[in-house]
Amino acid sequence: MRRTAPLSLAMIALLGLSACGSGDTGAGGSLQGEGSGADCTIPGPVPVGAALSLTGAAGSYGESQRNGLELAAAHLNEQGGVTYELTVEDDQTDERQGITLFEQFTDDGVSAIIGPTLSTTAFQAQPIAQDAGVPVVAISNTADGITEQGEYIHRVSLTEGQVIPQTVAAVTESEDLENVVVMYSDDDAFTESGYEVFAQALEDEGVEVAETLTFSVADTDFRPLLTEAAKAEPDAVIVSALIEAAIPLVTQAREIGLDVPIVGGNGFNNPQLMTDAGEAAEGVVVGAAWNSAATQNELNTDFLAAYEAEYGKAPDQFAAQAYTGLMTIDAAVRAECSGEPEAIKDGLGTIDGLDTVLGSLTINDARDAEHEAVVQVVTDGEFVALD
Amino acid sequence: MFTDSTLLFVALSGIFAFSFYAVLVAGQLSLGQAGFAALAAYTSAVLAPDPAEAGDAVTLAVALGTGVVVGAVAAVLLGLPTMRLRGVFLAIATLGFAEAVRILLVNAEWTGGAQGMSVPKIVTPGVAWVLLAVVAYLFWRQGPTRYGRALAAIREDELAARATGIDVGAHRLAAFVTAGAVSGAYGALLAFTMRFIDPGLFDFASAIDGLVMAVVGGSTVWFGPVLGGAFLTLVPELQRAVGLEAGWIRPFLAGLLLLAVILFRPGGLASFFPAGRGTRPLSRVQASGARGDTAADDGPGAPGGSGADTNPAGANLAGTVQASVQPHRRRAQVGAGDVVARLAGVSKDYGGVHALRGVDLELRAGEIVGLIGPNGAGKTTCVNILSGLVPPSGGAVEVLGIDPVRTPVHRVAAAGVARTFQHAKLFGRLSVLDNVLAGAHLVTRGTFLRRLLWLPSARWDERAAVVHATACLERVGIADKAGLAAGELSYGDQRRVEIARALAADPALLILDEPAAGMNRVEAAALGDLITSLASDGLTILLIEHDVGLVMRTCDRITVLDFGAVIASGDPAHVRDHPDVVTAYLGTEAD
Repeated sequence: MRRTAPLSLAMIALLGLSACGSGDTGAGGSLQGEGSGADCTIPGPVPVGAALSLTGAAGSYGESQRNGLELAAAHLNEQGGVTYELTVEDDQTDERQGITLFEQFTDDGVSAIIGPTLSTTAFQAQPIAQDAGVPVVAISNTADGITEQGEYIHRVSLTEGQVIPQTVAAVTESEDLENVVVMYSDDDAFTESGYEVFAQALEDEGVEVAETLTFSVADTDFRPLLTEAAKAEPDAVIVSALIEAAIPLVTQAREIGLDVPIVGGNGFNNPQLMTDAGEAAEGVVVGAAWNSAATQNELNTDFLAAYEAEYGKAPDQFAAQAYTGLMTIDAAVRAECSGEPEAIKDGLGTIDGLDTVLGSLTINDARDAEHEAVVQVVTDGEFVALD
Repeated sequence: MFTDSTLLFVALSGIFAFSFYAVLVAGQLSLGQAGFAALAAYTSAVLAPDPAEAGDAVTLAVALGTGVVVGAVAAVLLGLPTMRLRGVFLAIATLGFAEAVRILLVNAEWTGGAQGMSVPKIVTPGVAWVLLAVVAYLFWRQGPTRYGRALAAIREDELAARATGIDVGAHRLAAFVTAGAVSGAYGALLAFTMRFIDPGLFDFASAIDGLVMAVVGGSTVWFGPVLGGAFLTLVPELQRAVGLEAGWIRPFLAGLLLLAVILFRPGGLASFFPAGRGTRPLSRVQASGARGDTAADDGPGAPGGSGADTNPAGANLAGTVQASVQPHRRRAQVGAGDVVARLAGVSKDYGGVHALRGVDLELRAGEIVGLIGPNGAGKTTCVNILSGLVPPSGGAVEVLGIDPVRTPVHRVAAAGVARTFQHAKLFGRLSVLDNVLAGAHLVTRGTFLRRLLWLPSARWDERAAVVHATACLERVGIADKAGLAAGELSYGDQRRVEIARALAADPALLILDEPAAGMNRVEAAALGDLITSLASDGLTILLIEHDVGLVMRTCDRITVLDFGAVIASGDPAHVRDHPDVVTAYLGTEAD
């Protein structure tokens, strides 16, 4: 992934007449509804814009996100009361396009914006929504500081800072870690910040780091590094890398006989790991915000079935987070029964223990999401929850 | 239809494209601009004051100043070792630099590494467009100046440019530093536009984007980069505006459009517009004021000759042209009979091949000396040594008081040596007039800075240069083709343009390497008259020619080379009757 890292945020926007918010929209009537909560009825559709990376380096994430959003919009519109007019646009994994899209959305007067896919773009584009007073919901941004950009910026995606400590704690307990080797690519924002969180979490757990090895995002040959890592005889290898590096790294580790658990960050959270690394992926531990099997609730079961029926494949974490993003906006709209940006912003602040496919979700005072992470281990070619 | 940021990015893209244009006009392919921009962006982001305290204008001014200086200084430092590289080698070297900068930024503490750093946004579309206008203005004014023509000449044919007296190294470096300064300005602007910069903004792909914008827009016309920047920035916007389904289809169509432009418009989008096609020739009325009768007069019906109106046949008033129109600087003239050039015992070996063996040759002012000999006799090697292109393996050389062995080619030209080449080396895409104006590099004054300020003296100088160049074209009888691209001319006409270009430098020694090749008899006869008339002006001429008749008629003295050695030297009659010459060159009497 050329443009830094991943993932993360989306925004939902509802259209209205921009921030000053007069009651009517040309398109479809008032955004001011009657009733409350589940009974809320808003005459006009609430416009929501989504700026996603559908093509370019992050295109694979954007596709899943769009599917998740469109599924959510279909469900919400079916349910009635409040309808959403979802506009998904492609930023081509280009920061400039992201900025332009945010500007276009705010000019068009959407009520909320979802996205963008990448954290870097989020830093560049979200201030536009902040300045225009349009609430943003990030669905895949994991970098620190995303929501610090302003009171209108929220996210439903867990940060690496939330997922990794849970992962490290779980592995430390199950594997009795004492001594580990850490490897990460130091020229990518996502993997570098992931490394920092890993290092802190390991220190907090009292695990000794025998060695820290770095490589470049574009590297594909890790044998020399892995040989060096093996010399330290670690209990586990902790890796912060993107999926492109994760696959050869895991494969080559097993080749040279390094059979200890490998613990990865969010970059490892991709079914491609099992597809491409095969046997070698067994025993890899990955923390994630969501796992199709791990979250056992009715919402999740319905989501899985609906997604499979619609797109003919299982959803990934990005689809689930995107789905949750729009659902969270819906909850915010219904909280005040208004599709105006200001009301949505206020509504987002009240999200507390909302039932979502990600589990029970709370948006805290820092406008970051809180819900339980899932620590997964690859078993028989599948991610299953680590017990 | 377009948002503010679309307008902003069109302007920024245009500025970045100009930084590629700056070197492409000089024929250099550099990808280092991304590195300059990155250095400038980070440095200006760190050094510029907080706009909340200092105000947007002050911050922007400091940032831009920093960016330009950082970009230019980096370009000087990179340019000094790399300016000797050509073509793809320069591209690779500069790409290596850009990559090194990126790695440095990723690993440095103060840049925030791969996680980037936040920068306040203060650039508005208005600011960006004003700056784009400033940059475009610079390049617009640069085009039709002595400096601009020198760059174009280097792009078209570097060797010919050097022989014309253009200091190629200095001009290439100047163009490179300009690119550095412009990309530095772009970097600073980008930093204060994006709110957040990370090394990924300045990666290989961004350098390629800049190059593509410059080439698609048109890399030889000053407004090309604006068109290219707008084109590449607006294509996605237009696709979105017409509601084209998002996904792979958009980048695919954008790629197709790009392909179509390059295939069908190799001159770039700028070639859709007629403007910017080089210096405008004098109109016929203006030209007549500068016109004397030409010496190289075409007989009626001469193929490829000048039009019937150029001048009537026959008259030969050579000298009136140069007398009536003075270039800005006359060169120091050599006293009649003084030694202009001397080769003493010069030899040249290429590996085991002895191209020249102990050649002695002396040229005196006002003489026409012929150098003849069979193919491979070493004539062109002789000329190359005289003009400083090739160092001899042994012997002493002196030309116009300097040693061409130790002197750069352009300084040899500056001393008063002008030459044509065995295979015409014109600046093919420039007009005939611009070719000759480039030839006048040494005798004209730089006009770029004065043109920037619209000083009238620049216009007068440019006009005087055009008059001078037109006079040179008149003299070889080709003034009516002044507006054509040199590459489109017939071979005979190209040779004449080459002579005009050499004459434009007001040389003391003119070396003509097979000027009559490709000419018919009528044209060759006219050429002979021209050569004679030039000599009568005091010009010393070394003529290499296979047309022995022409040489015998024209030359005062003739030196005959065979297998790298002088086999005869003397006046035409002496040489013609010399037994060795007859045997070696003219054939035996037996047949």
